[in-house]
Amino acid sequence: MTEIWAYSEKPSLLAELIGGAHLLAEKVNGTVAAVVLGQKDLAEKAAALGAAKVFWLGEKNENNLVEDYIPTIGQLLKTNKPTLLLIGATQRGKAAAGRLAAQLHTSAVTDVKDIVVDGNNLLFQHMIFGGGAVRMEQAKTEVTIATVGSGIFQTPEKSTAPGKIVDVPFVEPAWKIKFVEKREKKSSAVNLAAAKRVVCPGRGVSKREDLVLIDELAHLLEAEIGCTRPLAEGLDWYPRERYIGVSGATIKPELYFGVGVSGQVQHMIGATDSQIIVAVNKDKNAAIFRQADYGVIGDLYTFLPALISALKARK
Amino acid sequence: MRIVTCFKFVPDAKDIEVKGDGSISLEKAEWIISDFDLQCVEAGVKLAEATAGKTMALSAGPQRINNSKLKKDILSRGPDELYLVVDERLSANDTHVTAVVLANAIQKIGQVDLVICGEGSSDLYFQQVGLQVGELLGWSVVNAVGKVEATGSKIIVERNLEDEVEVLEVPLPAVISVTIDINTPRLPSMKEILKAGQKPVTEWNLPDLALVDIEPGVSVISMKSPRQVDRKKIMIEAKPDDAAAALIGYLSKEGIV
Repeated sequence: MTEIWAYSEKPSLLAELIGGAHLLAEKVNGTVAAVVLGQKDLAEKAAALGAAKVFWLGEKNENNLVEDYIPTIGQLLKTNKPTLLLIGATQRGKAAAGRLAAQLHTSAVTDVKDIVVDGNNLLFQHMIFGGGAVRMEQAKTEVTIATVGSGIFQTPEKSTAPGKIVDVPFVEPAWKIKFVEKREKKSSAVNLAAAKRVVCPGRGVSKREDLVLIDELAHLLEAEIGCTRPLAEGLDWYPRERYIGVSGATIKPELYFGVGVSGQVQHMIGATDSQIIVAVNKDKNAAIFRQADYGVIGDLYTFLPALISALKARK
Repeated sequence: MRIVTCFKFVPDAKDIEVKGDGSISLEKAEWIISDFDLQCVEAGVKLAEATAGKTMALSAGPQRINNSKLKKDILSRGPDELYLVVDERLSANDTHVTAVVLANAIQKIGQVDLVICGEGSSDLYFQQVGLQVGELLGWSVVNAVGKVEATGSKIIVERNLEDEVEVLEVPLPAVISVTIDINTPRLPSMKEILKAGQKPVTEWNLPDLALVDIEPGVSVISMKSPRQVDRKKIMIEAKPDDAAAALIGYLSKEGIV
């Protein structure tokens, strides 16, 4: 019996992966199972979404890190040998994928953008060269592990046939990392993947204070704010979950509005499914103009105030 | 502290050729040190400086990486020694094969306290090798490390997760993969470039590591240029007020405003 499993420490992403597992299971005549760490209602929710079996690792013990449960998941995989384990492509998810792959002597395919069923084979699409090319890969091992980010699959409807919850005993890890402390990043739990409109500042914005222009434009357009990678990593103007690109968020809005974005392929690949792309850049040769529906050649510092007051005048 | 910094030589992305059928070719590409591995090597060199230790750079790949210009390039960035595992069978390896080869090489190097990998390779970017190496060695392993400090038999790391930074105490020996914002790699000085040619280089092949049977678990079906969406490419170049009015005109036709 072909089994497709889903695991993520992030409940919203787990729900999407269960949706993806359903799609694949239908095509291969298989069943769906979920692996859940946390309170019992999370396991119940996964069962309600139609996972036939929910392997419940229990509530996380305060002294344990999420990573301390990886040996337990490894034991489950060795015993049950699912055809495919989908893992949410967060940093924790990638850590789990790599370690589990090594335990099973297999390779994990990460940041999968699409999974194609070809007869008895599963084919995985993965971007390479920072989005410069798309590679299709076929897994040849008994168990395959793939990480999938948010926005690729959709949360399924509640099932009429909820699955059963199986308690899984904890496997003590061979080594433990000691947790010292954590610092929250300021985060608004944004879901860019679901945003209808996205305003995206890039390196053309020279100072952090100037982001008020972006805030105002986003407010007037009723848009979420995404950003390019350097604004989230390095400059730290935005949390990482806001950066769009091959290793960040994939968006599918009706409007993508790039401000001072050069249009590097690593970034644009995350926005390629936008219905309309607008770009503002003072460099008329910027790569983004070749991928835009409407391109404004001009200085964002003079153009944005003009656009903002024109939009205000219409309200 | 004895530190191994793993790095990869990769085809330069700007030399990708797109053929008529949309497939891509890397045949003419120049090979370079993978972008994110410069931070990895720098992190190792800095930590070795702070602990009066030693940095050994390690890579694995086909014959092509056994190139004196590439070898000098990596050594000019600060490592004390270079280890290369060179074998033609490593030209189509997946992350697991790479991890097995590196883990075996690390054991053969011996008495290693810390292994540092980059956040992912600039060609394939699977972000997996460091994690797999750690698991294969049975050592503690952490990814997404944005800061590392040595304190005796442990390291303290800051792990950059999506919505929080975790501070962790990691027992040695350990494997960490570091993010690109961990440091700004130094540019090699003329002195370092001249010194690079004199540093020891050790070359092994797969039999030297007692590896015979290496079969990738993933096979590549195709490599293609990404799908391009046709865009209108309407350009507006006017005074700010006129440009704003023009853009609003278009967006209102699209039903956006």
